[in-house]
Amino acid sequence: MEAYLLAIFITALVYVLLTLGLNFQYGFTGLINFGYVGFFALGAYASAICTARLGWPAWSGFLLGMVVPFFLAWPLGRIALRLRDDYLAIVTLGFSEVVRLVIINEKQLTNGGQGIAGVPKLFEFGGAGLGGDALLAAVLLLACTAVAWLVRCVVKSPYGRLIQAIRDDETALLALGKNPARFKTQVLMLGGAIAGLAGSFYAHYIGYVTPDQFLPIVTFQVWMAMIMGGVGRLRGAVAGAFLLLLVLEGSRAVRDLLPGLPEVAMSSIRLAVIGVALILFIRFRPQGLWGAPRD
Amino acid sequence: MDLIWSDYANLALNGLAEGLLMALPALAVTLVFGVARFPNAAVGDFVSLGSFGALAAHRASGGSTLAAALGGIGAGAAGTWLGWRLAFRPLLGRKGLAMLLTSIGVGFVLRAAMGLGLGHEIQLFDLPLLKAWRWGPLIMNPLDVLVGAMALVCVALVFALLRFTSVGRTMRAIADDMDLARVVGIDSRAAMARMWVLSGVVCGVAGLALGLKTQVSPEAGADVLLPAFAAAVVGGLGNPLGAVLGAVCLGILQELSTPFVGFTYKIALSYVAMLLVLLWRPQGLFGRVQGVR
Repeated sequence: MEAYLLAIFITALVYVLLTLGLNFQYGFTGLINFGYVGFFALGAYASAICTARLGWPAWSGFLLGMVVPFFLAWPLGRIALRLRDDYLAIVTLGFSEVVRLVIINEKQLTNGGQGIAGVPKLFEFGGAGLGGDALLAAVLLLACTAVAWLVRCVVKSPYGRLIQAIRDDETALLALGKNPARFKTQVLMLGGAIAGLAGSFYAHYIGYVTPDQFLPIVTFQVWMAMIMGGVGRLRGAVAGAFLLLLVLEGSRAVRDLLPGLPEVAMSSIRLAVIGVALILFIRFRPQGLWGAPRD
Repeated sequence: MDLIWSDYANLALNGLAEGLLMALPALAVTLVFGVARFPNAAVGDFVSLGSFGALAAHRASGGSTLAAALGGIGAGAAGTWLGWRLAFRPLLGRKGLAMLLTSIGVGFVLRAAMGLGLGHEIQLFDLPLLKAWRWGPLIMNPLDVLVGAMALVCVALVFALLRFTSVGRTMRAIADDMDLARVVGIDSRAAMARMWVLSGVVCGVAGLALGLKTQVSPEAGADVLLPAFAAAVVGGLGNPLGAVLGAVCLGILQELSTPFVGFTYKIALSYVAMLLVLLWRPQGLFGRVQGVR
């Protein structure tokens, strides 16, 4: 039971990081990023390749896991900043699928569809006990706090007022002589690095990476966490991520009621739960459970 | 490996068939975009629904293609109409993003329902084996010809409806300028409902075409979503002719690139082509420039 709770806690913290990054991009700057899982995948694969394939120390994977998505977000931003919202959503969705196609194709680097196994645990002591995972959870908690604090500092700063102005009225900002395009690109890059960090932690915790872990549905789970918690609210990101895990794990309880349900049926049920929750939240509670009303 | 002109011609023919198939979901995306101003992410799942409807009718009628088409159209249209009534109509007047996220939710629910109700096994249409047609070095699969012809007929009928009927005129008026259309007394809700049903009809035909050419499963349609988005974006969102031309161009480009970039990267190529087009013309090849909001 402790192992199960710890596993949920760690997964939830990974989602907290992702939700914080997405909230920075959409909640504060208004960028509709539907390819968020692509940055997450880049971070996870950077760590997996550095440690499991090249035998480098873990910190190199974390470093690359943030640097690679940071810089790959730049060209995306250059294109995206010229586009209308609906085009941006499609372009970013396409980006995450291209990332996945590259991962599947570049077999020498990524081992293709089979993925990379044997990503070492970050902390190992006491044999097979929970000590290592507990320490990982503590470090992850620290990372979440640090990222939340940083995002908070940025958002409260003059820079933060500027990016929120992009969200609220880009034309007015242009009239003031600011260049929204530059700031949008920076926000995409920073948010990408946060997703990469989450990816590195995820790879080290799960111990393997495959392209199937980075399907677009992950992006929409993060969107759902953000919407449930409240768009543009940092506390909401934390609450939303834990609520998402509750919903996902809760759908597992169906199996206890109906034993013998095959795994594909379970994944359909989980998909339906996410879909219904997304529809209902957007219709009846678009501001999230705790967010300020804004639509 | 040296390729001669006939290899390229065969690739281009394959690309044309592929492009015509993709033109249908791209058209469905762009039709809804025209009136509702969001890219409908549930289109892929409506296509799957159409596939199942077509397959059921095909089996029940003992292999009639016409019955299959009617079955696909019925399933697709019923799906989009229900989606409009239950999920999208209550959101009228909200931002495009709310609609877009809702369409993702609708797609998930639909895919899950098909998986639970109809099973995940891959099903195929029972078709007689057909020999490929040859003209000298050119080879064509009769199935591709059938699918391509079906797509062309469907596209032509949609355009005729939009162009020459009063129902089509009201739909185009709504897509052009919602407020102006209301002022002249067009029932905007009714016109929007018709546009949704029309996009469902197109999804149904797309489902039959996709099922004939590949397979029928709850996930099969979802795979056409991104190519359809890419085609609709290249053509300019909201422009039906642009979506069809975009799909055909991307299809041919993809197949012609296969010898150079390999089989799996050809999918990525349509995104790259989409990005290049957007860099050059941010509103798509045939899209209109939107006023600053």
